[in-house]
Amino acid sequence: MIGKASVQVLEKEIADLEYRLHNAKSRLALASDSQSDSSNYLPLPEDAITSVIPTHALLLLSDSALPLGSFAYSSGLESYLAHNKPLPRSVTSVTSFHRFLKLSIASMASTSIPYVLAAFRQPEDLECLDNDLDASTPCVVAQRASIAQGRALIGVWERAFRGTYAADPFLVGSTAVEAIEAFSDLLKSSPLDTADALGPKGHFAPLWGVVCLAMGMDTRQTAYVFMLNHAKAVLSAAVRASVMGPYQAQSILASKGLQDMIADRIDHEWDTPVEDAGQIVPPLDLWMGRHELLYSRIFNS
Amino acid sequence: MPVKSPFESSIAKPGQGTVVLSLLPPSNPTLTTLTYKYPLKLLTRTPGYVPQSSALSSPASPPVHLYLLTYGGGLLPGDHIDVSITLEPHTRMVVTTPQGSTKIFKTEGRQRGTLPLAKNISDKSRQSVDVRIGREAALCYLPDPSVPFATSRYEQLQTFTVDSTPASKPSTNTSSLCVLDWVTQGRSARGENWDFHLWRGKNEVWSEDQNTGARKLLLRDSLVLDGEVDELCLEAEDQTISSELIRERTLPHGVVGTLILYGPVFERLANFLMDRFTSQPRIGSRNWASPALGVEESAPNYESKVTFTAARVRAGFVLVKFGADEFETAKDWLGGILREEGTVFNEFGEEALFCL
Repeated sequence: MIGKASVQVLEKEIADLEYRLHNAKSRLALASDSQSDSSNYLPLPEDAITSVIPTHALLLLSDSALPLGSFAYSSGLESYLAHNKPLPRSVTSVTSFHRFLKLSIASMASTSIPYVLAAFRQPEDLECLDNDLDASTPCVVAQRASIAQGRALIGVWERAFRGTYAADPFLVGSTAVEAIEAFSDLLKSSPLDTADALGPKGHFAPLWGVVCLAMGMDTRQTAYVFMLNHAKAVLSAAVRASVMGPYQAQSILASKGLQDMIADRIDHEWDTPVEDAGQIVPPLDLWMGRHELLYSRIFNS
Repeated sequence: MPVKSPFESSIAKPGQGTVVLSLLPPSNPTLTTLTYKYPLKLLTRTPGYVPQSSALSSPASPPVHLYLLTYGGGLLPGDHIDVSITLEPHTRMVVTTPQGSTKIFKTEGRQRGTLPLAKNISDKSRQSVDVRIGREAALCYLPDPSVPFATSRYEQLQTFTVDSTPASKPSTNTSSLCVLDWVTQGRSARGENWDFHLWRGKNEVWSEDQNTGARKLLLRDSLVLDGEVDELCLEAEDQTISSELIRERTLPHGVVGTLILYGPVFERLANFLMDRFTSQPRIGSRNWASPALGVEESAPNYESKVTFTAARVRAGFVLVKFGADEFETAKDWLGGILREEGTVFNEFGEEALFCL
């Protein structure tokens, strides 16, 4: 089972690399004879290769209009701002925000990326991963945010994506589709919102991994989009909390620094087993947990 | 057939220890097993303290005190402490470390290229504590903080297994535990400020059904303070290099910690801490009633300098996380709360608060 899945993952990776090689070659050809013949355009890629490329799913999942309700959560930013007020004279609010963004990305990667990757690699373990992530999230505020987005993702899958992606599953998608369906049934049959219950919760990170697998994304993209969406949510919260304007937020989002930071954190957690996932920024748990103590709030976390 | 030497240690590996606490009738807690080997030392004492009042229905048995010691008051690189403790049903145990702090000594620098670096890096100190807590048994584990010296590398895994065998009265037969785990910035008097290379601490609580053997993870609290200096070391050959990463990620705290509470014995304490948390003044609240300056911010809103959260997570656990500027502040704060509330004192006696 594991061997078969990894072979398919590798096949997909090879297809992806071939596509990129092909793309680069055609651009090279274009660049080298552009002096002689400027009317030569990039040739269309071959159909056989494009069908494997999961660009469409990638665009869907990275869309900020994906109805997960992520805009309602600031991932601790609002509480961080309140706890660090007033700022010392030497620190600007943007500098302070940069520090938060760096900590938040590092922390999100260390606590969640192992679960995203584990669910992507072993979709049949979804229920167990969900339980373990629930047990490993010490902060109830973070827990609520994760569960709300995870359940929203299941909702989007059932109402929107299933029709297309479950009917004609991608190479490795069939086990993922089965895993989501089984988990969704489990979620519906277990009682809702009982504090002591240890039933399935529907945490965001493992579900993200499985849904991405079902939609034919590759491992790297799955982790990258997960992190990028987190960064987007934090930056969007920063704009709404009047830390910065929308153009400045967009420029941070586009920056090489952010790209490198995300790629670096994913590399760091690439081989981390879920048992070793953990919090690397302890004050973040405190800020997030104390969000409930804020006098006025505009976000849910 | 040779006669087995009565002096022969029953365990071979250094640093291993085994403790089994049983309750002999009528109510006589007895250590049926107690073995350990250098560099670990285990001492026990039965203070004869009889719990004044108890949250449990059945009469509480006197707690047994276990002191967890290591030679030199800490762990050297390569030391591996492995303690296994079993609390049989209805017993109570207090575990403390009477050495002021658990020092994590530094990983030695490379001696002129003699040691291969790979070995050097894997040469961290480790501690694993595995506790099995039977029905209506209770563990109170309030140790000293871990003090990692500059450039040290350390890993600890503490596993607690509680009995979840279905019974006729499910509310009363569960195990209880109170576990504190805290780590400081190092020897602050020597200017150490999160200068170690790695400190990884994991506390897991599992439930186990004695009939079927099925285990389920109830809680995992995992903290990774990693300076991520391996690559730097390889290039620089300079073991004294320290990265800013851990300092940056723990700012503004000099000590961070977690208190885990579970089970009927600690229910009152858990509620007390939850009330204490929820009744803190709101952050950023303003005194609108004041006529002169309606916009004046209220005074610093945490008592002393401790920032904490308390949350009732799943399966009835209450998890308290705290951070403070220095060790003494956190110690006074936590000791103050536990003494004021009184559960630990009443159920286990004054000595359980030895480290606080």
